[in-house]
Amino acid sequence: MELIKPDIAFKRELSRLSGSQLNQCMQCGNCSAVCSLAPAERPFPRKEMIWSAWGIREKLMGNVDVWLCHQCGDCSTSCPRDVKPADVIAAVRQQTYLHYARPHWMGKLLSDPAWLPVAIALPVVVIVVILMLAGTFRIPEGPVDYSAFFPHGWLNGSISVITLFFYGLAFRGLRKFWQDMQQQFPAETGQKRGLSLVMVLGEVLSHSSFSGCEGKPVRKIAHMMLFFGFGLLILTTAYAIYATISHHYPLTLNNPFKMMANLASLMIFTGLGIMVSQRLLNRRVFGRSGYSDWLLLASIGLLTLSGLVVELARFGNWTLAYHLYFFHLVCVWFVIIYLPYSKMGHIFFRTTALIYARRIGRK
Amino acid sequence: MMAEKKHMALALCSGCGIGAALDTDKLTAAATGFAGNLPCMQHEALCSESGLDVLHRFTKEHEVDHLAIAACSPRVKSEEFSLTGIYVERINLREQVAWVMEPGEEDTQMCAEDQTRMALARLHSISEIRPYVPDHVNRDILVVGGGIAGLTAAREGAEAGYTIHLVEKRKIPGGYAGRLYKLSPEGAGRNTLSEPDIQELVREVQENPNINLHLETTIQSISGEPGNFTVRLQHEKEQTIGVGAVVVSTGWKPYDTNRLGHLGYGASRVKTLEEFEQYVRTDAVPGRVLFILCAGSRDKEHLPYCSSYCCSASLKQALYVREKNPDAEVYIVYRDIRTVGFQEEFYKMVQADDAILMTKGSVESVREEHGEVRVVVKDSLIANEVTIAADMVVLATGMVPNSTIDLQLQYRQGSGLPEIEYDFSDSHFICFPYETRRTGIYAAGTVRAPMDIEQSREDGAGAMMKAIQSVESVKRGEAVHPRSGDMTFPELFMERCTDCKRCTEECPFGMYDENEKGTPLPNPARCRRCGICVGSCPERVIGFADYDINSISAMIKAVDVPDEFEEKPRILLFICENDAYPALDAAGVSRLRISPFVRVIPVRCLGSINKVWISDALAHGYDGVLQIGCKPGDDYQCHFIHGSELTKKRGENLQETLETMMLEPERIRTQFVEITEHHAIVSIINAYVEELEAIGPNPFKSM
Amino acid sequence: MNSTTLVIGGGISGITAAAELADAGRQVVLIEKEPYLGGHVAGFHNYFPKLCPPSCGLEINYQRIRSNPRISYYTGARVTAIEGGYGHYEVTITLEPRLINNRCTSCGKCAGVCPEEPKAAYIPGGLAFPMKYTIQADLCKKEACGKCLEVCPYDAIQLDACAATVEIEVGKIIIATGWSLYDAGRLEHYHYQQEQDVVTNLEFEHLLAATTRENRQLTRPSDGKVPARIAFIQCAGSRDVNHLPYCSAVCCGVSIKHALTLAEAYPDIATEIFYIDIRLPGRNEKLLERAKATGRIKFTKGKVGRIIHHNNRSGLTLEVEDVMAGGKRYDAFDMVVLAMGMTPNHIDKDLAVNMYGFYLEGQPSGIITASSCKRPMDVSSSVKDATAAALKTMRR
Repeated sequence: MELIKPDIAFKRELSRLSGSQLNQCMQCGNCSAVCSLAPAERPFPRKEMIWSAWGIREKLMGNVDVWLCHQCGDCSTSCPRDVKPADVIAAVRQQTYLHYARPHWMGKLLSDPAWLPVAIALPVVVIVVILMLAGTFRIPEGPVDYSAFFPHGWLNGSISVITLFFYGLAFRGLRKFWQDMQQQFPAETGQKRGLSLVMVLGEVLSHSSFSGCEGKPVRKIAHMMLFFGFGLLILTTAYAIYATISHHYPLTLNNPFKMMANLASLMIFTGLGIMVSQRLLNRRVFGRSGYSDWLLLASIGLLTLSGLVVELARFGNWTLAYHLYFFHLVCVWFVIIYLPYSKMGHIFFRTTALIYARRIGRK
Repeated sequence: MMAEKKHMALALCSGCGIGAALDTDKLTAAATGFAGNLPCMQHEALCSESGLDVLHRFTKEHEVDHLAIAACSPRVKSEEFSLTGIYVERINLREQVAWVMEPGEEDTQMCAEDQTRMALARLHSISEIRPYVPDHVNRDILVVGGGIAGLTAAREGAEAGYTIHLVEKRKIPGGYAGRLYKLSPEGAGRNTLSEPDIQELVREVQENPNINLHLETTIQSISGEPGNFTVRLQHEKEQTIGVGAVVVSTGWKPYDTNRLGHLGYGASRVKTLEEFEQYVRTDAVPGRVLFILCAGSRDKEHLPYCSSYCCSASLKQALYVREKNPDAEVYIVYRDIRTVGFQEEFYKMVQADDAILMTKGSVESVREEHGEVRVVVKDSLIANEVTIAADMVVLATGMVPNSTIDLQLQYRQGSGLPEIEYDFSDSHFICFPYETRRTGIYAAGTVRAPMDIEQSREDGAGAMMKAIQSVESVKRGEAVHPRSGDMTFPELFMERCTDCKRCTEECPFGMYDENEKGTPLPNPARCRRCGICVGSCPERVIGFADYDINSISAMIKAVDVPDEFEEKPRILLFICENDAYPALDAAGVSRLRISPFVRVIPVRCLGSINKVWISDALAHGYDGVLQIGCKPGDDYQCHFIHGSELTKKRGENLQETLETMMLEPERIRTQFVEITEHHAIVSIINAYVEELEAIGPNPFKSM
Repeated sequence: MNSTTLVIGGGISGITAAAELADAGRQVVLIEKEPYLGGHVAGFHNYFPKLCPPSCGLEINYQRIRSNPRISYYTGARVTAIEGGYGHYEVTITLEPRLINNRCTSCGKCAGVCPEEPKAAYIPGGLAFPMKYTIQADLCKKEACGKCLEVCPYDAIQLDACAATVEIEVGKIIIATGWSLYDAGRLEHYHYQQEQDVVTNLEFEHLLAATTRENRQLTRPSDGKVPARIAFIQCAGSRDVNHLPYCSAVCCGVSIKHALTLAEAYPDIATEIFYIDIRLPGRNEKLLERAKATGRIKFTKGKVGRIIHHNNRSGLTLEVEDVMAGGKRYDAFDMVVLAMGMTPNHIDKDLAVNMYGFYLEGQPSGIITASSCKRPMDVSSSVKDATAAALKTMRR
């Protein structure tokens, strides 16, 4: 028999993050009924709403279902008590990054605006230290050459090591997440893990879950733009690293990879534009976007923007080029290194949860 | 019985298809053949301006005082056919003959002629109506119980200009509502608990010169009848007052906590709503308080009903907890949250406090251990079975109505108000909620049904209205609901009374008291004029001026019963005026077909049918007697509560009598219909006629 | 000080207030906007919890009105102006022409020859009050047809009748204008407008009433077949911030009554009630017990999310979470009844209302509001409140 330990502070945090008077939920079940992604057995989000109202953290943290939600907002628009289940679920996801953050302070760093200066200071300090170690902590003379400022070896090496270090730590959090899901949603008749992975990859690439949400094609388009734009940029970065090794870096403007990167930037800006305008214009559906949401949009936006500006600065031999490059690196840090601890963490958490869900046949 | 000779007459309308269905000249001939020198008139539209003009001249010319109008149902054109100074008997030739029987047929004609003869026989045998108006009618009104309903009743009655005696057994008026810490908001758009305002009402009552407040006073006895109740009060010494009517608002008490051991009652950390209401005033509220709703309510083992106030009272107390201890958490375990109407807003308002946590669920056990109370909840929304730990548990216990025995009614049928269901003194009538089975005594507030403060206030005012109405009706010599305006009342021919007590037992309204020998002592102002006593009396000593043994017998005998060789059966149909009669009219409006072999006698209530009428009918050669009335049973529709029930019972006895007479038990049949069942009533009648045709003629026919 | 009381609204509340006052010796004028008295309840099949017909109590009240000379009444009447104040209100009443005058004997010849479908000349059943025919102006072709004029033997047809006004002076006014059903068309997710077999609780009530009146089986509107499965959706547009945020107090009782009526009369119809909370306060709990005891009515906690609309398929699929069982269901029903809530009816005069438009208790002196125009309530409470309102007009 379960002894319930209501955690009012946790509940209030969910309420704050979601902007929902979630305690006013009357458990009518309308949300679960209208949700086109909720599984037939133990559907969401009605049960997550009562758990949120009672502040039952352990039922919400290792919860597969909150990751099945793609935030279409159907439940919120039709909620008779206007308690915004979609936003509450989003808040639960946000709390999940925090809950499984390893080290824990990294989660805190990215979920609380008060810690933003520290979050910025960290990459600044680390990059300065690396530059000092490399002995290149000064503005180089002559035409703009970023490798003169941050030698490629140092750059690729140090960033890779730091990324791997944090991802390694974060992986421990993900493992705990997996274990918690196993406990809460024990597998009965499951599918093979490999197949689940393929299924999820297919879903992710096709954005099929977005189509499940009724009448919101705009959201699907926006996310696809961002997703594939981001993917292309990663690809370009990989090629760029290869280029630095094979010594034909920097890339020329007519290099197909460079062209691809520019196209990717355009895609990202389009996606971001849609997302921001939707958030501002259609509050009822998209709910109240919190700090982590805006932080995510801002970091991606700034990363892409600074990437373009840095490129222009190189061609134009701007005097500020190295400062902008430094800024770009901080943005890279925000998006790549902070990834498991921020809203970007959904890439890991949602994928993990989806794999688990398909593995236990939950759909 | 008649002082002077009656001037009877017949007015016949041939409109609306009556003329086409019947030979009206033959009908007039039959009437004069029956009643001798009977002035008759005919018109093709009696209710038209010209028809009424002719009618008025006709009645004037013949100095008519008793008029039979053979036309449409008495339920229509009542204004047109109510003639000053003339007793009018309506013969329903339209809805119940011309519209439901084959036009031009001999059987239809015979039916119309019989119905006309029956009406004339009745007119001939009834006596003059003299209303019962006591010499002195007391207009003062007694209100018993000084809670919210009683105080409101008193104030409203006094404002309307009546003198009120308000009796309260406690030292301080205000009742349950007066002991509340705070009140939940009423109506829409109010968002805070309010301070109790009952003291304002108490002050208004205390200051009103029309209200005599009797505190710490008990009732020794209430005797008499509406308009003339004598009330003996006991304060320090005894005092006797006279009132015309009574409002009973004695309220409620919480359900017996001794029976709530299974919910942990008895442990120091387990309280009831009532206890917690007082507890919060003085004591420290602990950090975790759990409310169990429907504690001992909606439960066959305890109170089977819902007390309707506990949900909002618990929500209100949840706010007390939060007010008294801002760090406290509240848990509420409910079955259904019943915040009806605008109270839904209050529910939401309470939920706006995020330390008040709620779940549906059923409580399995409540145990005190480790210095806390552990409550096991099954089928909760959180999980199938959960345990919630709390520092205090509040049981939302239900309402039990206070007994009305303390009224000390000096009635033969008991000293309290008859209770219909779960000890509530309610009418069980949806359309007439204030009626009790004691005329002039009206129940208000929670003694009548579970309700909240707002409803109790409305109830107090409504019951006072009924009380005032009852006094005013007595003054006019009229009956109250449901035969409002009826000026007849039962008169007893005491010489033949054998003190058998049937009437005193069977009257649904306790009209009859008894002396020590068992002789009935009528209190006519208590009477609702149903005539059940007429039906109950084996010595046939009870009758109303226009509804007695002789007049109905005369109607029965006025029918021309053909002998057995004609194969024309005759069925006497006693039909209750209240629902079955309108249903039969509606069958007419729908032009359904009924057998022309039935002869209809409307009765005040099935319960008013005297056995002698049935034996008269069978002796006169009718082949069967069909009685159709309102539905009996728990959900009765009988306007006089148990008239139909009684008839059912009496019918069973009658059938035994039939068997001893060597008659088939099928010759008497009792059936029940609802007012809307005009198709059913037609099938019942026609099926019964067919059944009797199969059985064959009544052997008494040719005797 | 005029001692006559005007009662606006001839439904159960207005009738009660008028009859109670008249029985207490007061002069009363009762007005009703429809051609017949009785309001909503006159069209009801039965009342809960006793499942008894409303006409029974109405008949008693009609009898009181017929026999009490202190009541006069107008039907087809609307208040168009109220002037003056406490003790001397001057009220203008506009009488809609019923195109049939008081000479009508209810013989039914006019309806017999009326060629329109539905008939322009009608009477709503054999228990109607007043028992007189009415011609619905919008359905009647007037002189272009004139068939009824030819057959009426009583000179009762007046196809050219115009609206008339009556001015009366009264001392006090009781407002008992009652309620209207919330617009079901606004619940787009239930496809009320597209699906014939999605009906409101009021429409279902009328369907049941017609079965008794016409002595026939209950059939569904789309194809006239007897439905095998009927779903009742509680709180359809009630307790909902997007529609009516309040609870209408009667809809649970009404649906349970409907399901129980079906369970007792149609052994083959399966019913299911989808609810948020079952709200049947007080002694009406008995009705719930009785419904459960039939074993044929399923109660499921869960607000129906939507009715899936198939363009060319019959059957209505409900999307709902069975909250207590914790599963989502897509179930097909033959007919769906929406338990819709009440909205208040108003008169043509600005009176104080609450945030939902219901009349407040506090009005200009001498104007008393009663019953369901004040807050949603059931019949018994309405009668109770109307009686209380009657007394309030007797205040000196």
